[in-house]
Amino acid sequence: MAIRTTATHDLGTPGELPPEGVARARNRSPWLDFHVGTALVGAVAGFVIGHYIGVLIAGHDINVDNNGQNNVAICLSLGFGYLGWMAGIGGWNYPLAKMIGREPVGELPSSHWSRYFKYTLDHKVVGLQYVIGVLLFLFTGGLLAMGIRTELLNPVHHIIGPDRYIELVSEHGTVMMMMATSIVIGPLGNWLTPLMIGSRRMAFPRIEAFSFWTFIGGYMIILTAMPFGGFPTGWTGYAPLQTQASGGMDSYLCGFAVIGLGMITAGFNIAATVIHYRAPGMTWSRIPILTWSLLSTTSLLMFATPVLVMAGLFGILDRTALTAFYVNEHGGSSFLWEDLFWFFGHPEVYIMALPGFGIVGEMLPVFTRKPLFAYRVGAAGMIGVALLSFFVWQHHLFDSGINPDMRPLFMLTTELISIPTGFIYLVGMGTLWRSKIRFEVPMLFALALYFNFLIGGITGVYLSDVPVDVTVHGSFFVLAHFHYTIMGGLVFAFFGGIYYWWPKMTGKMLNKTLAKLHFWIMFIFFNFTFFPLLIVGLLGQPRRVFEYAHNLQGLNDFSSVSAYILGSSFLIFVWNFVWSTWINPVPAPANPWGSRGLEWQTPTPVPYWNFERIPVILSDPYRYGEPDPPPVADLGVPIGAAAAAQSFAAEVQLGLDEPGGSFRG
Amino acid sequence: MSDGRPGAADEPRGGHAPHLIRIFAIWAVLSAIAGPLFYLLVGPHLPPGHMTSAASGDAWDLNVVTTMAIIVVLGVWTYFGYCLVTWRSSRVVGEPVVGRWGRGNLLVQTSWITITTLAVMGLFVFGTIELIVPAGAGGGEGPNPVWTPHTKNPLVVQVIAQQWLFTYRYPSFGGFETTQLILPDHTAIAFHVTSLDVIHDFWAYQLGVKADANPDYDNVAYTTTQQLGHFVVRCDELCGIWHGAMFDYGSIVPKAKFLSWATASENRLAPVTKLLPPFAWTYTPSANGAGGGFYPACATGQVTNCDPFGNVATYGGAAKQSAHETA
Amino acid sequence: MADEIPAADTRALGPVRLMETQEELAYELRAAEGAVFTGGRFLVGIGAFTFASLAFAYFYLRTSNNLGLWRPHHATAPTNYGAAVFAIVLADAMLTIIGAVRLRRGMVLDWQVAWWTAVGGNLLAIALQILILTRLGFDSGSSGYASCYIGWAVLNILLMLTTFYWLEVLLARAMRISRAVAEDGGPSQSRLPAARMFRASLDSATYFVVFGALIELLFWLLFYVL
Repeated sequence: MAIRTTATHDLGTPGELPPEGVARARNRSPWLDFHVGTALVGAVAGFVIGHYIGVLIAGHDINVDNNGQNNVAICLSLGFGYLGWMAGIGGWNYPLAKMIGREPVGELPSSHWSRYFKYTLDHKVVGLQYVIGVLLFLFTGGLLAMGIRTELLNPVHHIIGPDRYIELVSEHGTVMMMMATSIVIGPLGNWLTPLMIGSRRMAFPRIEAFSFWTFIGGYMIILTAMPFGGFPTGWTGYAPLQTQASGGMDSYLCGFAVIGLGMITAGFNIAATVIHYRAPGMTWSRIPILTWSLLSTTSLLMFATPVLVMAGLFGILDRTALTAFYVNEHGGSSFLWEDLFWFFGHPEVYIMALPGFGIVGEMLPVFTRKPLFAYRVGAAGMIGVALLSFFVWQHHLFDSGINPDMRPLFMLTTELISIPTGFIYLVGMGTLWRSKIRFEVPMLFALALYFNFLIGGITGVYLSDVPVDVTVHGSFFVLAHFHYTIMGGLVFAFFGGIYYWWPKMTGKMLNKTLAKLHFWIMFIFFNFTFFPLLIVGLLGQPRRVFEYAHNLQGLNDFSSVSAYILGSSFLIFVWNFVWSTWINPVPAPANPWGSRGLEWQTPTPVPYWNFERIPVILSDPYRYGEPDPPPVADLGVPIGAAAAAQSFAAEVQLGLDEPGGSFRG
Repeated sequence: MSDGRPGAADEPRGGHAPHLIRIFAIWAVLSAIAGPLFYLLVGPHLPPGHMTSAASGDAWDLNVVTTMAIIVVLGVWTYFGYCLVTWRSSRVVGEPVVGRWGRGNLLVQTSWITITTLAVMGLFVFGTIELIVPAGAGGGEGPNPVWTPHTKNPLVVQVIAQQWLFTYRYPSFGGFETTQLILPDHTAIAFHVTSLDVIHDFWAYQLGVKADANPDYDNVAYTTTQQLGHFVVRCDELCGIWHGAMFDYGSIVPKAKFLSWATASENRLAPVTKLLPPFAWTYTPSANGAGGGFYPACATGQVTNCDPFGNVATYGGAAKQSAHETA
Repeated sequence: MADEIPAADTRALGPVRLMETQEELAYELRAAEGAVFTGGRFLVGIGAFTFASLAFAYFYLRTSNNLGLWRPHHATAPTNYGAAVFAIVLADAMLTIIGAVRLRRGMVLDWQVAWWTAVGGNLLAIALQILILTRLGFDSGSSGYASCYIGWAVLNILLMLTTFYWLEVLLARAMRISRAVAEDGGPSQSRLPAARMFRASLDSATYFVVFGALIELLFWLLFYVL
C-alpha cells in the first residue's frame, strides 16, 4: 500500500484523519494504487527515457560510432529503469513526502491478496514476497545451470556453443550469487526477526520494502544482460575483460550495484531492529541463535557491500566516462578490481553461510528436545567469522602475482576462520549428545547441512593451503567447494527453514511425504552432482570451459545426469508448495514441531501487529529437557475496555475491521 | 545427572554406556585403516604427479592434507552417525532430561577450541614450509619473487598469453617466439608470465605451475623439472568466449635435445624474431599503433626494472655455446 | 511511565496501531529513537567503507604507478574551485554544528538560519563540483589520478546530495510540526514523540555531516594538496 500523507494528522492531533477518507480508501479497489503493474510501467518508461538521454549525450561520440555500442545509453536506461520501477511501486513517495515535512501514517492493515504486490510496511508480507522473489532467482539460476551441464555432456561436441555457453555460465553465477545474498536474510530474516525478538514491527519498514523491490529490480536488470549480448566474465567480472566486453557487462555492473543497494538496506533495517526493538527481557544472551547469525550477517551486508557498489561504479565509469580505473595502459590496474571485488567477495560468501548456521541452530534443539549446546560459543563463532572474513580476501589471488610475502599471512587468516566455523559443529555435536532425535523434514535438512558443509569446509582448507591451491585454484575443485558450502549449506538450510516455518507463515502444512522425497532426491543427487566435480577439478579441468579432456567425460556425464535429477527434485518442491498452499491446504497445528521459540507463541496467522501486548521475555527459547521450564515469555493479556489503558481515537478510526477480515487476524 | 528423572523407563537405551569411548574407538579404527590406506596407496598417484619439484611438493602436500581431512571427516561422521543411531527418537523413551551439562561444558568447549586451534596452526606452519622450501610451490610470485630456486641460472621462459593462445619466448636464445613449450630435464625453470590483453592464467598442470597472466605485469613462477614427458597447459582464468579452447601441450626433453631444438629454432626463426618487438618483461599495446602494435613497456623509459637481457641470456653457458657451433 | 505521551502522537511512530499501554508507547518510542540514532551511525559506517574503496583505489594506483601514468606532469583538478567546494562544505559543517547547538538551547530561528544557509551552500557546492567537471584540464582516462578524481567527483556529489536531503527534510519537518510543538517548548524541548523523533534524526544528521566534512578534508588533501 502506498504511503499516504495528509496535511496535519501526522502531527498526532486526535480526530484529524477524516472518517470519510478512511471509508473512501477502504471502498476503493485495492488495485487503484501503486502495485507491481504500475512499477513495470514505470520501469519501461524509465528505461526509454534513460535510453533517450543516453543517445542524446553520447550518440555521436567517436567511441560509440566505432564499436556501435552506447554504454552510456545502456547504463542510463538501466538506471532510469530502476528509478522508474521504484517510482511505480511507490518507493519514492515517502522520501519525497519527507521533503515537505510530512511523516506518512502508514497503511491500513489489509487482508486483500493484492498486498503481496505492493510496497508494504508489514514485515510478514515482505517476507513472503521475498520467498517468491528468491525462488524466482533460484529457479532462474537453476535452469541456467541445466544448460551448463548440458554443454558439458560431451568434451568436444557443442550443444550450446562457446558464446552462448559463456553467457549461461556468467548469468548463472551472477544470478545465484545475488540470490544467495538474500535467500535467508530476505524471506526468513524479515519474516522472523520481529517475531523472534518480541517486536511488533521492523525499525525501518519502508527501508525493508525498499530492499525487496530493489532486489527484484536487480533481478530484472541482470536478466537484461542476455538481450544485450551477455557478458563473458563470469560472476567475478575480472577487469580487462570487463572493459572489453559488450553491452551485457553494463547489466552486470548496474545489476550488482542495485542488488548491493538492496543488500545494504536489508542489513541496515534488520540490524537496527535487532539492536533496538527487542522486547523487555530479551537480553543479548537470550536472543535466538538465528538472530545472532542474522545480526552478524547484517554487519557484513552493511560494510562489505559498499565496496562492491564502488567497484561497480568504477567499472561503469570506465565503460561510460572512459576513466581508466582498471585499464593498465592508462595508469589503472586490473588488480584494483580483483582487490575491491574480493574484499567484498569474501565477506559475501559468509553472508551466504552464516544464516544457514543460524537456521540449523534453531532447529536442532527442537528436534532433539535438548537445549542448544554452547550457545555463547556459537554466537561468538558467528561474530568471529564475520570479523575475520574481512581479512582473508587475498586468498583468491594466491597465484595472481600479488606480493608473495602476503601469502603466508592470508593463508593464516583463512585457516583461522575455520576455528569459529568449527564452533558451529561444536554446537551441533553437543546438542545431539544424549538427545532424542526426531527425523522430521526440517531436521533432515539441518543434518544435511552438517554433512555437506563438512565437505565444503574441508575442501576450503585445500584452497587456503598455498601449495595445494596451486593445483586446485580456478579448477572445478573450487566450483565444487563453494557449491558444497553455498548450496549444500545455505540452500539446504533455506529449504529446511521453509519446511519448518511455512506452517507458521501461512498456517498450512507442506506435505510430509513429498517433502521427504524432495529431501532425499536433493541430498543424494546434490552429492552425486558435486562430488565428482571435486575429482574432475583435481584431475585438471579448469572452471568455465566448454571443452575438456576426453578422460573426464565419464565423471562429467555422471555429474550432468545427477544435476538433471537434482534440478527435477525442485519440481517436487514446487508441486508440494503449490499443492499444499493453494490447491489442497491442510491447516497446520499451532505449534507442529513443539518449539519453545517466541515466534510460535503468536496466533496463526500472525496478527498485523504480531503481539497483542509487547511480551516480557522470561527465558531463552532453548530450555528443552528441563522438568519444569519457565515460560519463554509473558505475553500479557489483551486490554479490555476496563483495562488500565486508554483507547484512542486513532484506534477507533483505523482499527476497524477490513471487509475481508480483521487486521488482528 | 540422572537426578530428577522420572524413572528407569525414561532412560535412553544404554543411558550410561561409555558412548564417548565407543565413538572414539570406532573412529580410531576407521582412521587407522583409511588414513594409511589413502596415504600409501592413493597418495603417491595424486595429481599433479612428479614431473617437477613443484608438482612433487604439491602432490605430497595434497596427500598430507587429504589424509588429515579423511581423519577429521571420519571423526565428525562417526560422531554424527553414532548419535543419530543411538538417540533416534524411536529408541529413546520420553524426553531427555538434561542438567547443566546440556547447555555447555567448559571442558568440552575449551578442548574443542584448543584442538581446532592447534590443528589450524599446524596446518599453517606446514603450508608455509611447503610454500617456502620449494621456491613458491610453483605459484606465480609476481615481478619480485622472494622465494627462488637455489640454482643461480634458471632457464627463463617467457609465457605470453593472449586471446586465445599461449606463445613462449626464450630470451636465452635470442628471444625467439614459438607456440611450442619445450623444457630441458633436470633444470630450474623460471616462467615469466605476462599477457597482451586480458587476465589469463598459465596452468601447466603436470608441472605444478600456476600463474596469472596479467597485462603489463610480469608474474614469475619457478619449478625444477625432474622427469621426461608431456604435459598439458590450460588457461585457468576466464578470458572470453574461447577460454575453454585455450590449451596447449608441452614436453620435457633431455638437455641435449632441448639445446639442439632451441638453437635450431633460434636460427630458423631469426628472420621472424627480427620483426618482433624486442624481448621485454611486459608488452604494452601501443596507444597509436593501428591494428594493435605492441611495444615493450621499458621502451617508454618509464619502467625502470626492465633489463631484458641482463641475466637471462646466460642459460646453458658453455653447453649452449657448443650447440651453437655444431648448428 | 514518567513520560506521559498524548495518545494520538503515536502516529509519529508509524501507522495505525492497537490499543497500547503507556509503557508500550514509551518503549516503542525509545526503540524508534534508538533506531534512528544507530541508523545514523550505521550510515557513517557504510559511508566509511564507500569512501575507503575510493581511497584504496587512489593509493593502489598511486603506489603501482603503472607505466608511470599515475599522474603525469602532476596534473591537478582546478585548485581554486576545489578549494571553494572544500571551504563551502567545511563552512556548512560548522553551520550545521552551530545550528544544532543553538537549537539545543532553544534558539529555533538561529538554527533555521544556519541550516538553511548550509542547505544553500550545499547546492552551491554541488553546482561548483559539476562545474569543475567541465573544466578539468585533463581527460578522464588520461591517468590514474584523473580516473580517481572523476570517481571522487561523482561520490562527492552523492555525499553532498545526501547531506542536502537530510538537512532539508529536518528543516521542513520542524516547520510542519512547529505549531503542534510550540506550546510544549518548541522542537528542541517538546516531549511530543514527533519532536523527540525529530531530535534523534537531527542528532544523527549532525553526526553524519561531521563525517562528511572529514571525508571532504581527506580527499581535498589527496586530490588538491598532495
